[in-house]
Amino acid sequence: MNSKTGIVTWALVRDTFREAFARKIFWGFFGCSTALILFFIFIMKIDVVEGAVATVSLFGNTTRGHDVQRLVRQAHAGIAAFLYTAGMFLAVFASAGLIPTVFEPGRIELLLSKPVERYHILLGRYLGNVLVIAANVFYLVLGVWIIFGVKTAVWTPGFLWSSVIIVFVFSVLLTVVLLIAVVWESAVVAMMVAFAIMFMSPILAQQSLLERLLTSEWSRNTIRVLYYALPKIFDLGRLARALVLGDPVIDWMPVWSSALFGLVTLSGSLYAFGRRDY
Amino acid sequence: MTCAVETKGLIKIFRNRWTGKEVRAVDGISLNVEHGSTFGLLGPNGAGKTTFVKLLLSCAHPTAGRAMIFGRDSRESEARRPAGYLPENHRFPTYMTGHGMLDFYGALSGMDATALRKRIPELLATVGLAEWGAVRLGKYSKGMLQRVGLAQALMHAPSLLVLDEPTDGVDPIGRRQIRDILQSLEQQGVTIFLNSHLLAEVELFCRDVAIIHRGKVALEGRVKDLTAGSGYRVEAESVPERLQKELRTKAKSVAERNGHIEFLFGSRDEANQALDLLRAGGCAIETMARTSSTLEDVFVKTVNEQ
Repeated sequence: MNSKTGIVTWALVRDTFREAFARKIFWGFFGCSTALILFFIFIMKIDVVEGAVATVSLFGNTTRGHDVQRLVRQAHAGIAAFLYTAGMFLAVFASAGLIPTVFEPGRIELLLSKPVERYHILLGRYLGNVLVIAANVFYLVLGVWIIFGVKTAVWTPGFLWSSVIIVFVFSVLLTVVLLIAVVWESAVVAMMVAFAIMFMSPILAQQSLLERLLTSEWSRNTIRVLYYALPKIFDLGRLARALVLGDPVIDWMPVWSSALFGLVTLSGSLYAFGRRDY
Repeated sequence: MTCAVETKGLIKIFRNRWTGKEVRAVDGISLNVEHGSTFGLLGPNGAGKTTFVKLLLSCAHPTAGRAMIFGRDSRESEARRPAGYLPENHRFPTYMTGHGMLDFYGALSGMDATALRKRIPELLATVGLAEWGAVRLGKYSKGMLQRVGLAQALMHAPSLLVLDEPTDGVDPIGRRQIRDILQSLEQQGVTIFLNSHLLAEVELFCRDVAIIHRGKVALEGRVKDLTAGSGYRVEAESVPERLQKELRTKAKSVAERNGHIEFLFGSRDEANQALDLLRAGGCAIETMARTSSTLEDVFVKTVNEQ
């Protein structure tokens, strides 16, 4: 990457952060993450005795006799699940508005008139958006991981890996938002499609069951195509949980097939953006 | 010598996706703008001026033809490096400060942090916004936004400045200030391409103009040549046919309006001779006045003739 490419990329990323700050998106996430971190610091008390048995105190209620490893992993899994569902929903909701603003008349012409390739503009904005969410996810996950580590001396890396999965899934969903924003310039449609993919995922994850229930071959094929073509949000959630709990990951197909979906969608966005007139 | 702007048979057709209806916004425009000149693009609303500028800066893709900036196809990103642009109805992000906006667009033009630190205060002072650099653009007036927009276009010291209605919404003092900045740029050899509907402003500032109408170049040339139609206007009533014929041979132009005949003569002597003949022929003289053709006259005539 030459210096001019670096300057432009950095400017686009910084602009996305500036807009996220101005729209209070970044601070909203940061505030929630900080509140959760403070909660674990001050409200939850864990006493480890002889490295195996813990006393957990929450809002003054104390429970005893926990296996420390298991307790920490379960807590990590709970937080990861919360981030994976509610956090993802909020992230897509908040980010969907950041993309179409770039295509507003009077703003896009100025960007396109600069000595920057169109794909660079779009990728810079995309990267900025991913980094806004990644910064908050890593801040929260790392913060919680350190707190649990300090309080229990359990430093399992699985929870950290779950944050990578969360950011990965978000970056895949963001390619959908990007494509819709380029083609229709609508934040609402972009959100609707991204949420539809999220909500369809648990249904499509039951693909083998559905295939047994469906009578027509056409319907079975449709389910099969949808399952393999769309990102496997639900399966990736299970994969993240397995990583957190230290269970073996049997199938990495959801990762590469979702990545492939993201790449195809991103390429589609770049192609559509390259051909559009503003 | 390479032209700052050169278009060859530039065509842009917009097609309605559903009805298939076509609009030829730009219809085969071939233009040359010399390096270092001040060029005005004129035309009535919907003539295709803004589309032409968008094609020139690669915001839209031509259906046919080419647009070049200093000899390079403007679709190449590097071709646009020497160009600065202030669009019409720009929408700068309101969350940015004046300083932040210049920093952002300067960086997109490839300027590094050191160059930006030096250039931004200079330009803010040039456009009279030195005290406003730290204020968010949302708090700027329309005129201030135009001025900071001009500063944005000048950030990387471009050799070609493309301005789409630059004085739109600017008060007379601000307008004067913008004109002064443009004049000093012209002296530095910057090519200025002005897209404006303010004819007086174009006439005052530009050396060359092109009038486009219905997507085509209707007229182009030097302003001083196009507005050279000055002379003496004689308007008379009840002019006999024989005398009309005689005067037509001497007049530069003749027009009939509401029963009156209007002759335009090139010199005072010719006008006085015509007056003598008209009086001798018993015609009532309505007016005798010195006239000079303005760009507005040229514009209206050109557009009406099309």
